[in-house]
Amino acid sequence: MMGEAAKLSRSGPALGGIARDRARAVTVLLILLIVTLLVVLASTAFGSTWVPLEKIVAVLTGGGERTERLIVLQLRLPRVLLAALAGGAMAVAGFLLQKVTRNDLASPSVLGVVDGAALGVVIFLALLSDESNALIVSIAWQPLAAVLGACAAVALVFALSGRQASSAVRLLLFGIAAAAAAKSVIMVLLLTGPIYRTTQATRWIAGAVNETNWGEVQMTAELLLPVLLLALLAARRLPPSDLDDVSAQSVGLNLPVFRLAVFALAAALTSVSVAFAGGVSFIGLLAPHIARLLIGRSAVAGMLASALCGAVILMGADLVVRVLFAPTEVPAGAITAVIGAPYFLYLLLRKDRLNG
Amino acid sequence: MDKALSGLKVDTLSVAYGAHLAVDAISLTIPKGKITVLAGPNGCGKSTLLRAIRRLHAAKTGRVLLGETDIGKMREKEIAREIGLLAQSPSAPEDMRVEELVRLGRYPHQAMLQPWSKDDAAAVEDAMFGTGVGHLRDRRLGSLSGGQLQRAWIAMVLAQQTDIVCLDEPVNHLDMAHQIDCLDLVSRLNREHGRTVVLVLHDLNLAARYADLLVFMKDGGIVSAGSPHQLMTEEQIASVFGIQCRVIEDPVHDRPLCIPMRNSSPRFEVQG
Repeated sequence: MMGEAAKLSRSGPALGGIARDRARAVTVLLILLIVTLLVVLASTAFGSTWVPLEKIVAVLTGGGERTERLIVLQLRLPRVLLAALAGGAMAVAGFLLQKVTRNDLASPSVLGVVDGAALGVVIFLALLSDESNALIVSIAWQPLAAVLGACAAVALVFALSGRQASSAVRLLLFGIAAAAAAKSVIMVLLLTGPIYRTTQATRWIAGAVNETNWGEVQMTAELLLPVLLLALLAARRLPPSDLDDVSAQSVGLNLPVFRLAVFALAAALTSVSVAFAGGVSFIGLLAPHIARLLIGRSAVAGMLASALCGAVILMGADLVVRVLFAPTEVPAGAITAVIGAPYFLYLLLRKDRLNG
Repeated sequence: MDKALSGLKVDTLSVAYGAHLAVDAISLTIPKGKITVLAGPNGCGKSTLLRAIRRLHAAKTGRVLLGETDIGKMREKEIAREIGLLAQSPSAPEDMRVEELVRLGRYPHQAMLQPWSKDDAAAVEDAMFGTGVGHLRDRRLGSLSGGQLQRAWIAMVLAQQTDIVCLDEPVNHLDMAHQIDCLDLVSRLNREHGRTVVLVLHDLNLAARYADLLVFMKDGGIVSAGSPHQLMTEEQIASVFGIQCRVIEDPVHDRPLCIPMRNSSPRFEVQG
């Protein structure tokens, strides 16, 4: 994409609108990439103790003192990287859903994916705890429970929509219904369950990336990167889905298959990130909107920008909770919700005004 | 493009919405390189037939043949390289640029990882200049007038470079000048580029003026098909559209012209 923009800009002094859009997208992407790296550095530096930049560099290049190595490599970096991965993945999921439903309000939480995953985890904790509130299986199975829950939610939404699954609005409505149902079951399970598990589950549902280890980061990366690559391939096929159904199909987009594939990708991205980072809310809504403001309409660039914005938002939220609320560990999801919920309301009100 | 494929034949085709047969066992041969106009009262199934020709509706029974091939068995992109269709009320984001829209017409010609080719660029240029939207290429769709917007959409369909072009009520929302403008454009495409055109039109006089083959439909079936002079008789129009009329010869275009008089089965009674 960058190569093409460069080629076009060399071809003549008068740049066409599309070429200008591309050149701008490339510039914005580069700036976003730099911002992302700066936030990674800042998140590694700030916390209960301040680690200066040169010490971080020293640690990363293999030097540094033992305590600094511990703080940077064991406590901070895994947490920061997981936030970046999960935030990025949820943003891409939101981007895909907004594009394919042609609806600004679509996001993984609206489609029931996030709450489905949360329900999976709560059921897992409820069923597999013994009387002394200890888990009878390894906690490593928790992500699987989240993925199963998310897949069950998506399957339910599609089953309920039935033959109307080709209609984006129907999917959104059933998604919202499935999310509400999952939430109420979670509530019942939490109220009737043991206290200790409840606290743990609540934290997880709100979404937090503290207490992350390298194993989790590695697993998240291994699961997410192939899906993200597939999503990038899908992005090349996204442009016709900007059109109405008849027009999109008449230029040769196999809409039912394409929709199913994109929903599956979004569900996979969301459930993996939710499994490890918890039910961080609104990133899937916010990040694609910011990306769109910065980049415009391009599908591939828009997806990359969404990923970077999502990563920055979750890392930033985690940084804020660490600095503002230390030593209490407030989940990062609380911050994204504080920003995201009013924005969602604003979108709803604006939509209302447009319709009315 | 395989020119031999392009003969289009509808063979006892039925299309159903639930229990309702919108198209009922229609057989029709679309003449190659001509303009065929489907006309009929609201709900007669003309738009459904047009969309079924492009396989946007599945056939309940029967089939549509493109040359020897049943389009029911073709791949999505394959059909999109043979048959283009402009939807009745197409929609695209308001902030999309005209050139972006036209480029979407190249979608069926692009493979998964194949970059934008010279052929694609040439097809987009041809389509934009052929429809007179070249100077609007950088404009956003939301800033265009109705006539310009319709031209941009037609350009997208043309960029698809299909031998067959279907247009579903393309002049519906246009004023008189732009209606003529749009249909002149379509007929030029037909004459100068030999494209087979299938149109759905509401306005009987426009239909008569542009059609080589006129098809009257009613209740999901074909009532009659022939030249405008054969079809545009006072009896035919009364039986298909339920309206009394006088048919005279259009003094300019050598085509029949219908002057509607009274509805023979009025739907809106004047009270008192």
